[in-house]
Amino acid sequence: MADYANPDVLVSTDWVEKHIDDPGVVIVESDEDILLYEIGHIRNSVKFDWQTELQDQLVRDYVSRENFEELLSEKGISNDHTVVFYGDRSNWWACYAFWTFKVLGHEKCLIMNGGRQKWIDEGRELVKDVPKRPRTDYRVSAIDESIRAFRDDVMEHMKSKKPLVDVRSPKEYSGELLHMEAYPQEGALRGGHIPGAVNVPWATAANEDGTFKSADELSEIYEKGQGLGRDDEVVAYCRIGERSSHTWFVLTYLLGFENVRNYDGSWTEWGNMVRAPVER
Amino acid sequence: MTRLEKIVGEFREADRQGMIELLRDYSEDLPEVPERVLERMDRDSSRVHECETPVFIWVETENGAVRIFADVPGPDFPTVKGLVSILVNAFDGLSPGEIEAAPADFISSMGLVELLGMRRIWGISAVYSRIRDEVKRIRKEP
Repeated sequence: MADYANPDVLVSTDWVEKHIDDPGVVIVESDEDILLYEIGHIRNSVKFDWQTELQDQLVRDYVSRENFEELLSEKGISNDHTVVFYGDRSNWWACYAFWTFKVLGHEKCLIMNGGRQKWIDEGRELVKDVPKRPRTDYRVSAIDESIRAFRDDVMEHMKSKKPLVDVRSPKEYSGELLHMEAYPQEGALRGGHIPGAVNVPWATAANEDGTFKSADELSEIYEKGQGLGRDDEVVAYCRIGERSSHTWFVLTYLLGFENVRNYDGSWTEWGNMVRAPVER
Repeated sequence: MTRLEKIVGEFREADRQGMIELLRDYSEDLPEVPERVLERMDRDSSRVHECETPVFIWVETENGAVRIFADVPGPDFPTVKGLVSILVNAFDGLSPGEIEAAPADFISSMGLVELLGMRRIWGISAVYSRIRDEVKRIRKEP
């Protein structure tokens, strides 16, 4: 059986348990549900909220360099720390935080395979105590926007018929639904997908227990199933760019694609843009 | 002061961490749906479909008072459970007129948008709309 292209980026729940007190490691919980951390988290882990901390609260953008530096300094994370992300919903939000950290240039990022669900299913310890970490002086060295696509990039990408992966549900892709079934106001004025995009819902890459599927299974889905190649330039998108960060992680780190970008404007930008081509 | 005003006041006075703790307390305080109501609760029609998390709302009247029962099954959605619990705490037992008189936008006046972000507020607004619609429906019944 083939191994992941970058197996070292995934760590097991066992590994995390052994590194809870490792001074070089910071465990980060990133969830959809803002209270889960309060109810119980891995000892010594710190919480990040993707919506109120990792996004700018005025302009639609990621957290600014200055705010990211302040955020990490305040939470006691230094540039040298290895950060291990885990979270709810098959690590959807952990991947989103991972992607944001990568855009802001944090070097050593890992994902705990299986996330919060697996940790709990295995009966491992959860605590309510919030660790007190000494303040650091975090400095962003370089912003890496090579993993981020903006609308003009995507327009060019589409015109040159390069591969696009739409990771939303089949009904959002077909245009039958203008929004994810649950989120009526996060809609767009037009339904459908970017012309030429293939549809692979993000959760296709996850097992029932929250872990990632094996390298062979992932290759079957994305390479054999959709004809994507490791050298292709690929853009992944969803509705607001969060589900597609999971697929970005899978293609980049688990399958070893060299050039994958996440289009965080996603359908809420494209489906509202005047004269943007739409396919149904 | 109404119960709703009291809850809004609690949240407005709290800082960020205080609000999270309040929300956690409410999520732990959501009353269980009594067996007699569960038996009559139709799982399909009582589900608030606009909310991604499974939320079931049952509204009925008891001696002129509105009774609100809510179920958010499972341990994975404490935030939603907390928000639903706020609605139940604020409105259960009031008269239909008192519920209709409550401000439609009270959720945004509590500072929860800043805490949770818009996205998480939409689902709970749908739950609140459902309660208001049910109360309207009850009032129209002969």
